[in-house]
Amino acid sequence: MVTIIDLSIGNLQSVANAFRRVGAEVSIVQTPDAAEGAQLLVLPGVGAFERAMVQLQERHFGPFLHRHALERRQPLIGICLGMQLLADRSHEHGLFEGLGLISGEVVRLEPRPPESRVPNIGWMRVRAAKASPMFPAEVDGESFYHVHSYHLVCNDPFDVAATIDFGSREIVTAVERGNVFGVQFHPEKSQDAGLNLLRSLLNYVNSQD
Amino acid sequence: MSLPRLIPVILLKNGLIVRSQLFRIHQTIGNPMHTVRRLSNWNVDELILLDISTEDFHDMRRDDMQVRYLDNTSIGVLRQIAEHCFMPLTVGGRVRTIEDIRTRLLAGADKCAINSEAVRNPGFITEAAEAFGSQCIVISIDALRKENSSLEVFIDGGKTPTGLHPADWAAECERLGAGEILINSIDRDGTGYGYDLDLVRQVTGSVSIPVIACGGVGIYEHFPQAILDASASAAAAANIFNFFELSYPYAKAVCLKAGVLMRPVCLGSSWFPREPNYVFEEETKRIEARLERAHTGRFLAAETAAPRSVRWCTKCVYPSLSATPMDFDENGVCMGCRMAAMRVEAPPHEWARRKSILLAIMEEARCRDGSRHDCVIGVSGGKDSYFQTHYIKNVLGYNPLLVTYYGNNYAPVGERNLRRMAEIFDVDHVIYAPGIQLLKKLNRLGFTVMGDMNWHNHVGIATLPVRTAAQNKIPLVIYGEHGYADLCGQFSMNDFVEWTYRNRLEHFARGYDWNYMVGRDGIAAGQMTPYQYPSDQELYELGLRTIYLGNYVPWDGNSNAKLMHEIYGFEFGDLPFERTYRRASNLDDMHENGAHDYLKFVKFGYGRCTDHASKDIRSGIMDRGDAVALVRKHDPVRPSDIKRWCDYVGMSEKDFDAIADTFRDPRVWWLEEGAWRKQNIWERG
Repeated sequence: MVTIIDLSIGNLQSVANAFRRVGAEVSIVQTPDAAEGAQLLVLPGVGAFERAMVQLQERHFGPFLHRHALERRQPLIGICLGMQLLADRSHEHGLFEGLGLISGEVVRLEPRPPESRVPNIGWMRVRAAKASPMFPAEVDGESFYHVHSYHLVCNDPFDVAATIDFGSREIVTAVERGNVFGVQFHPEKSQDAGLNLLRSLLNYVNSQD
Repeated sequence: MSLPRLIPVILLKNGLIVRSQLFRIHQTIGNPMHTVRRLSNWNVDELILLDISTEDFHDMRRDDMQVRYLDNTSIGVLRQIAEHCFMPLTVGGRVRTIEDIRTRLLAGADKCAINSEAVRNPGFITEAAEAFGSQCIVISIDALRKENSSLEVFIDGGKTPTGLHPADWAAECERLGAGEILINSIDRDGTGYGYDLDLVRQVTGSVSIPVIACGGVGIYEHFPQAILDASASAAAAANIFNFFELSYPYAKAVCLKAGVLMRPVCLGSSWFPREPNYVFEEETKRIEARLERAHTGRFLAAETAAPRSVRWCTKCVYPSLSATPMDFDENGVCMGCRMAAMRVEAPPHEWARRKSILLAIMEEARCRDGSRHDCVIGVSGGKDSYFQTHYIKNVLGYNPLLVTYYGNNYAPVGERNLRRMAEIFDVDHVIYAPGIQLLKKLNRLGFTVMGDMNWHNHVGIATLPVRTAAQNKIPLVIYGEHGYADLCGQFSMNDFVEWTYRNRLEHFARGYDWNYMVGRDGIAAGQMTPYQYPSDQELYELGLRTIYLGNYVPWDGNSNAKLMHEIYGFEFGDLPFERTYRRASNLDDMHENGAHDYLKFVKFGYGRCTDHASKDIRSGIMDRGDAVALVRKHDPVRPSDIKRWCDYVGMSEKDFDAIADTFRDPRVWWLEEGAWRKQNIWERG
């Protein structure tokens, strides 16, 4: 069972459709009570960091997510803004506390020649940085659809699961620490590559039971 | 760096895909679901949907089709499409308020394209970008190159001039918060001349946001030009993706070969099989529900109050509510008439040009080592089959393999014509005859599921020649004319449209592919092989093309028949048909002009006589008054071969009529004092 957290700030249908397409049962929840017993918890998100954090806290998801991920060690994946929410803090329009599940900060994407365009929109080739259930051989090196103006800088390089080239440097596009996963891109909009990633993650989650 | 994109654009008008010409003429191509599923199957980079409907409501009920619409609104269609889209989806058309954008995003769009409203109220761009983020806001710009070659932005579907220069307007849009520009050329739309590269260059030169080029693509080689020569971030097109088999993979391959770094060619996503995945139990429920309606007499058409009005073409006798998708121009003239006029007006040198294109295709397909035939011709043994074989073998001098799907319903004269082909033309002829028990089952299933006993025939004819070609590594298949292009002007003759799996599934099979039948009435998958289309991989590797001869040589059913009779002794029908006045059509299937065609009348209120009379009006050999009289005489006839068919498959005529009545379209029919009534062309004029 895949449980998607609904913060009422964006369309969750495409994420739900993608998980269904790869064979998962999906529920969409708005309260921690409804999320109890989740096998894989999904934190999607579009929009601004602060607003999403306020929504999370108002619905008391903060303590629940810590319990789920740190005490019970159950799998959790943040997608796009959802991945940024996993960090300690973000510099988007101010300085705001995140969930602190991945050590690091979210900072603005600075244009670096030859890449001058922010937001970074489009298909980017993703390279796995370590062995991960998200990036089996058939997924590593594939292109994924990105839309973002901020990116996560990890304090612990071992948390980095995958990177992309942006201008003259590498930036983090996927993280993994224990059972906490995150992707900056949109697997639900990345066709076979994205669906293969979700399928592989699901297989991993099922093998944990 | 983000990779340049190749983007199919789907133009939707009242819920159906249309082909567009100069923003003015729209020819209906079909249901978007089939096309979207195909595009998902090829893992396209992105999809743009532009809704050019004039109203929010449309009515696309087709009880005989596998794909059903959930509701009658543009947003409903979008929601259904989005379920099959795991790629970024941009949606445009009548986006005027923040609420419009929100509605589309919630229905599954990732970005919204704004056009006219942005010009009328530039502040809306900023407002939209602040509400949803710049990445969400695409400004669509339609530019016209005028006679003095200057450029101007037009809005309202290309109707209203704005005095703006596209490059200046694009720069202003970026300043106001747009995330992307979609630049379309009005004067190149539907022409196939290629992008207006100067226009694209001027726009890319004036902004730093990504620019999507659109308008004018006629060959795959045009795509990379937008990116390499005009710095576009994406190359887009609408029409061409509707015309050719594997259009997207081939276009991608051309871009990659030209040196554009794109995502690779994909031929068959593991998550989107080409053949639809039917949920067996749900489909069984649908069939049972229909039988229940038949037995209890609860017909949809009887339960509807007032039918919506049907109208007819002002030149021919074609109705607006029809088995074939149809659109009308501003004078009420149907696209069938418009396109037929184009053919009639084509001068001799145009046909000479077309013949030279055909010769190039034939020469490319010609076998040089004696290992195979030059091409396959799908033949039924009818007048057009004779003409095709005559032309390819005896006029052009090639060595075709004839392939026939034998559906076991030949009229004796049709059978004689068929069997003589190998002798008369001295060519090899494969006649493929499926087992009779299987055919009986498929007759019954086709009738019960979609109101057409000839599903097996249509799909067999649409599959077997291509399948045989692929098996024998023959890279060319030739059919006669494109039925819908001829009948309802679905395509322009300049499109040189070719055969596609999409067209086969959507129009020949009504969305029911071979695998639908597996497990029903004890049918096993292995029995359905003649109906199994070659895989995309096979088609791609062989470079198999399936063309319509009618695109290259002047084509007229009546004169073909006469000529074939004179040269080869082609036999006409010895008995007149009950449902049409023509004598030389459909001799390959005694029910095609009978029970099968009667079902079209039951569904839509018109029959083959309407088709034939419309074609004869367009050919200039019949006037409309005579046509109306013939339609009145033939269309309503309940043909006597229904009894033969019922005996053949073991069904009572009572059941036949009851099941048939479940298919009556409520927009056409109503029940009055126990009798089915409809509006008639002879009453309306």
